[in-house]
Amino acid sequence: MKNNVKVARVQVDLTQAQLAEQVGVTRQTISLIEKGKYNPSLKLCLEICYAVQKTLDELFWIDREE
Amino acid sequence: MKKIKDERLVLKNLKNIRTAYVIQTLGIIGILGYDVIQGGMDRMMANPLWSVFMITAIISSLLSMNVSVDEYPTQQSPKKGFILSIIVVTFIAIAAGVAISLSSGVTTGVLIGGVIFICGVPPFAYLFYLRKQRHDEELDG
Repeated sequence: MKNNVKVARVQVDLTQAQLAEQVGVTRQTISLIEKGKYNPSLKLCLEICYAVQKTLDELFWIDREE
Repeated sequence: MKKIKDERLVLKNLKNIRTAYVIQTLGIIGILGYDVIQGGMDRMMANPLWSVFMITAIISSLLSMNVSVDEYPTQQSPKKGFILSIIVVTFIAIAAGVAISLSSGVTTGVLIGGVIFICGVPPFAYLFYLRKQRHDEELDG
């Protein structure tokens, strides 16, 4: 699933490892989420949102493909 | 070793355990199959692996009842289904008991009928419990 985690993370000046530590997962998981290769649970999504100070919409919303 | 908290790794761990379980089960089936070829059913059932295999099969089917209750919802009220299944189990137990009483004595008949009844009730009771839970959830909205 495509998302805007990477952009948001760079905006608040965090590395993957720092973000990973804040939300309590491994760096590899953050990397896979950014690449869209792993679907995080809603709980983890929220943790990421809090860490980068964005809403769920801004990070994970994608318009339905027609 | 510290506890794994990363949800992705927890999931991956579960998948690994599943793979190991599949291999283990295949191994057990292989060993039991070899026993059947070597010495027939008696030899296979004498093997302790047979009880391990059966207990695992029973536990996995009991656990999967949790899944099937959600997958196949019934309109029938859970109580009605439970009473119906108890009647069927009682009928089967009595029929088996009577049949065995006629061939190998009343005591054996009553014993085996009783065992069938006692073994038949818990799965249905569990099913009743699960269905009732679902039913109450639906009532809550």
